[in-house]
Amino acid sequence: MSGVRVMVVDDHPMWREGVARDLTEAGYHVVASCGQGRQAVRVVAATVPDVVVLDLQLPDISGVEVIRGLRAARPEVRVLMLSASGEQQDVLDAVKAGATGYLLKSAALAEFLEAVRRTAAGEPVFTPGLAGLVLGEYRRLAAVGQPRSTGRGSPPPRLTERETEVLRLVAKGMSYKQIAERLGLSHRTVQNHVQHTLNKLQLHNRVELTRYAIERGLDD
Amino acid sequence: MVAHVSAPGGFEVPLWRAVAVYRVASLAYVCVVVARDAGRYAHPLVAGALVLLMAVWTAVTAIGYAVPARRGWPLLLADLAVVLAILLVTPVVMGRAALAADLPTLSVAWLGGPVLAWAVSGGRRRGATAALVLGAADLATRGLLTPSALNGAILMLLAGVVVGHVARLAVTAGERLQRAVELEAATRERERLARDIHDSVLQVLALVQRRGEHLDGTAGELARLAGEQEAALRALISDAGPAPATDAPVDLRGLLGRYASATVSLSTPATPVPLPPVVARELAAAAGAALDNAARHGGGRAWVLLEDEGSAVTVSIRDSGPGFAPDRLAEAAAQGRLGVAQAIRGRMADLGGTARISSTPGSGTEVELTVPRR
Repeated sequence: MSGVRVMVVDDHPMWREGVARDLTEAGYHVVASCGQGRQAVRVVAATVPDVVVLDLQLPDISGVEVIRGLRAARPEVRVLMLSASGEQQDVLDAVKAGATGYLLKSAALAEFLEAVRRTAAGEPVFTPGLAGLVLGEYRRLAAVGQPRSTGRGSPPPRLTERETEVLRLVAKGMSYKQIAERLGLSHRTVQNHVQHTLNKLQLHNRVELTRYAIERGLDD
Repeated sequence: MVAHVSAPGGFEVPLWRAVAVYRVASLAYVCVVVARDAGRYAHPLVAGALVLLMAVWTAVTAIGYAVPARRGWPLLLADLAVVLAILLVTPVVMGRAALAADLPTLSVAWLGGPVLAWAVSGGRRRGATAALVLGAADLATRGLLTPSALNGAILMLLAGVVVGHVARLAVTAGERLQRAVELEAATRERERLARDIHDSVLQVLALVQRRGEHLDGTAGELARLAGEQEAALRALISDAGPAPATDAPVDLRGLLGRYASATVSLSTPATPVPLPPVVARELAAAAGAALDNAARHGGGRAWVLLEDEGSAVTVSIRDSGPGFAPDRLAEAAAQGRLGVAQAIRGRMADLGGTARISSTPGSGTEVELTVPRR
């Protein structure tokens, strides 16, 4: 744990302090805590955190904007989202913008600390809810991608059969260990499958954003 | 309903103004006609006096109908009576010779005033009634049926019916707009409440749960309760507003959302999963039965996954119980699990769908409900 630098972004002062205290007690180095998104984007370059624990609903700018700002200033930063109310589209947009982990605020302390540890180690943190969102997003992309398959735009990303299987099991609440046992895979392989589903979605999102920007002449 | 008709700022205000404008314009036409034909009337001076009376009555009705409270029966009846009186004395004033020459009657188009007023105040039937009364009186007093007199009466009847119809439409549209405005205000209020609750209560409840759950005894119990309330409140504020029309497609996510709790995790797509209301309700009920079963035999936690594959919709329910080996179905039946399973299968068969129940020791029991989209 020592040496891992964490930034906490949450507009609720009690939460911010509580989370910072929990992290410090667990041996993390809390380098900054902010109540607003713009402030977080401003200080991220100076405080060089490895992990940002980010509340998705901030008073000034959207979670997606915060994540884009953070990654523009410090591309290697990893973002673990927390949200109190699980606004599904917000969570999905944040994942597509580059967040690699998601947890409900009601998650247990041990669960939270484990999520921070895994985020710091570069592993995706999927709740069952997030797996359901990602599965739904791949199906949505496949459905809207079909009619214009000959037109512009990159082809929609697809899940392999194995990836679909793994995501469904994650969505049904199984741990990586249980999934590995059921499918006869190694823990590491299960983790890679999950990571892949996320990478493909984020890559597609970046390509689409770039294409959109070029089409609109915003590419500067 | 009727209260809305006189609501200030409603759609009928411009209609009343139009009636007033019609009366002034038709009065101007009467003046032109009388000025042209006065020489051929039996009593030209009385005709002039009648025009003056018509001008006064035009002013009275314009002012009278402008105020909603005065648009009642007294003014409507007085309006009809005054115009009827003018109509009845017209033949005497004009004289036989003028009538026989088929000159336009003294009041010509101005007769239409009360017809329009009655139509705007009460719809088609009232408009037609006023038109029939005036038309019959007009034809009767002339003593002979000329084509132009008949034309006038029929046009008046048509005007009464059409204007009455339009007036009803305007009132209905006004009421609908009123309802839409009220609904929007209620939705806004709900969204504001949801934001407030989200920013304050939910955060504190989540914090209480997180900081207290690892404590023993009462404190831990309180923290667990706080967590349950947090989940319930979250489901409440994210619930979709008022119930839609009965046969409109229903978003299955909303129906399944009721089952989400501290012990039941719900995974859905971010976009709506629309199904016909009957199918959505039955599918949600089957999922509920599976969850009840999971709560009885499962071991505490359960997960629900909703997937929309386009041609079919699948709801999977998994519990964290010990599960059972496939060759121990008899034992499962003895535990009372199969009865519920059969009920769920029956429900799904009615929808043209399937229910698949599987279990592996160590990873709980899984129920997979699939319904094809037609």
